[in-house]
Amino acid sequence: MNKKITAIIKGASVIACALVLCVTDLGSLRVQAGQNVPYETYTYDYYEDIKYTPAAYVPDGAVTGNQMGCGSFLSPQDLNTDKEGNVYIADTGNNRIVVADPSLKLVRVIDSFQNQGVEDHFSSPNGVYSSSNGNLYIADTGNFRVVELDARDNLVQIIQNPKSDVLEEGYVFSPLKVAVDYADRIYVIAQNQFEGIMAFDEVGQFIGFTGTINVQITPWEIFWRRFSTREQRARQQLFIPTEFTGMEIDDDGFVYATNVDAEGEQSVRRLNPSGEDVIQQGLVPLSGDLTWRLTGTYSGASRIVDVVVRGKGIYSILDSARGRIFTYDHEGNLLYIFGGLGSQEGTFTTPTAIDTIGEEILVLDANKNLVDKFKPTNYGSLINQAVGLRYDGDETQAVECWQEVLKLDSNFELAYVGIGKSLLAAGQNREAMDCFKIGNNKQYYSIAYKRYRNEILKDNLSFILTAVIVIVVLILVWKKGGKKLILEKIRERRMNHV
Amino acid sequence: MFKEKIKYAFYTIAHPMDGFYEIRHRGRGSVPLALVFVLLFGVCFSANRQYAGFVVNFVNPMSINSFAEILSVAVLFLLFCVGNWSITCLMNGEGRLKDIVTVTGYAMLPMILTFIPSIIFSRFVVADEEAFYYILMGLGIVWFVLLVLVGIMTVHNYTLGKTLLTMFLTFVAMLIIIFLAMLLYSLISQVVSFFVSIYNELMLRV
Repeated sequence: MNKKITAIIKGASVIACALVLCVTDLGSLRVQAGQNVPYETYTYDYYEDIKYTPAAYVPDGAVTGNQMGCGSFLSPQDLNTDKEGNVYIADTGNNRIVVADPSLKLVRVIDSFQNQGVEDHFSSPNGVYSSSNGNLYIADTGNFRVVELDARDNLVQIIQNPKSDVLEEGYVFSPLKVAVDYADRIYVIAQNQFEGIMAFDEVGQFIGFTGTINVQITPWEIFWRRFSTREQRARQQLFIPTEFTGMEIDDDGFVYATNVDAEGEQSVRRLNPSGEDVIQQGLVPLSGDLTWRLTGTYSGASRIVDVVVRGKGIYSILDSARGRIFTYDHEGNLLYIFGGLGSQEGTFTTPTAIDTIGEEILVLDANKNLVDKFKPTNYGSLINQAVGLRYDGDETQAVECWQEVLKLDSNFELAYVGIGKSLLAAGQNREAMDCFKIGNNKQYYSIAYKRYRNEILKDNLSFILTAVIVIVVLILVWKKGGKKLILEKIRERRMNHV
Repeated sequence: MFKEKIKYAFYTIAHPMDGFYEIRHRGRGSVPLALVFVLLFGVCFSANRQYAGFVVNFVNPMSINSFAEILSVAVLFLLFCVGNWSITCLMNGEGRLKDIVTVTGYAMLPMILTFIPSIIFSRFVVADEEAFYYILMGLGIVWFVLLVLVGIMTVHNYTLGKTLLTMFLTFVAMLIIIFLAMLLYSLISQVVSFFVSIYNELMLRV
């Protein structure tokens, strides 16, 4: 007896030890990409838990102004690339625009232009945009104007001092960011302009505002305001809409715009031509990190400062609070998150702008005064490829990519859903169910399960119907005297025993 | 004897007025049986979190801890009974602690009876049919609430209004108990750490 108990205790302690080991092991479980990357790459799973993944992008060097050969940058605020991959940097502190080729070699520096025969200069230009027609638009903040130059740096037009009924008297127009769509409509984010993005037509006439963010007051705030005195109310913070921080135009002419959202609910919008937000939201809010510290360093929701549209519905947003880059697909699924603050190469101190050349990502750092380059790893480009194929509707080809992705990261839920969809299309409902379950997609799981259930029912129809008939007959027999007969039999047997 | 009690529990959930009256005045209830029901409900509650079908289950599997879930059901049950007892003692309630425990335990029986089939059923549903699962669960919960109300009303010989009032006060009492327990815990831990530091000081210095 005693032996048995000690054996049980031993067994239990072994199991407990194993459990403890399991738990501690889970904490240190982290997939290394094989490269020394100065930041973590992760994504959020269905339950909003952080899942570390292999590195999707790795640092690929950084370029300063000195290395380019134009003297170091001073607090550069914007970076933009054109279709050929030429890079335009708004070197705000040096009052100039630096143009570089796709390999970040200096092409030219624009620090002056001819304005009606007189040499004119910029004053702290905060934004630059190269439009599809080859013209360059500069948000010349210090001079309160937007300057349009053609490919040979000749002045095309200057937009300043917009007049309209919706603009208040004495409104000072100080543009920060500028973007231009295929119809040469000019979108401007201006300082202290809370009404939204200012839109101008191709000749610089103010059309109106687009994408106004409505103020949201919670019932709790209304409650508090009701109970506060006039003096208190005057000292409370004003409920003003947040300002936009960055812009980009996609191939359809829709405006992607970012804004700072302290609640972490929505920091990126996709505005259609009439100014409505048509971005697709997935399970996660489109606002960077899902959880954050409330106080101390690195606290608060992500501060999204810029966006880059990367084709096939993929876009990345840049967070200046923690120096991270979040990449989403057109359905609003988080693909990968990487980047961080720091002093190593590949980390930022004050990231201000993001753009791409092909698959390569460029980030402008206003404090380090340099451009960080990132190149995709096998893992990152496989995801990009798979998402792109899915966007084009080529799900079967995407499956091959997804399978490769799963070899590198078996936690990637989107890959399971992708594979599941192709299995579903092929009629392999049982296998599709498993994929959707791992991928945590209840909607498609339901579809697969419904088909699987019908399959089973159809295959076993005769058996099921027979069983039903047999049961009904048995019940009828039992009710019509069968019960009595059986009970009598039992009683007889009992009597015999006695 | 025990079989009789189980049968009576089923009679009670169908005829709560008569059933609980007889439990109070003719001793037809059973505290052990009530505790068994509480345990069973704890198991059902935990099973629902773990085994409910994928379509209706939004629980993170990493967060499931059967022991903690059963324990939390038991602790809530205990809190409610003690809270209700301390309030009704002051408000001329006729019920004893034994009756309150029995009533609350028996009231959980419908939830056990609906949770198990709904868990099984949930494993066969798809997106449009999940409503049946929620209806079945909701039925059990509503039944439970009604039974607790009627039971408390009957064993204490209260009117409905007074029952609702005591229910609210019970809730407040539960909060107070939790607050006192936490206070006690923090005070005791400070006292313990005080003596531990004295001990350490003596061991290391003297």
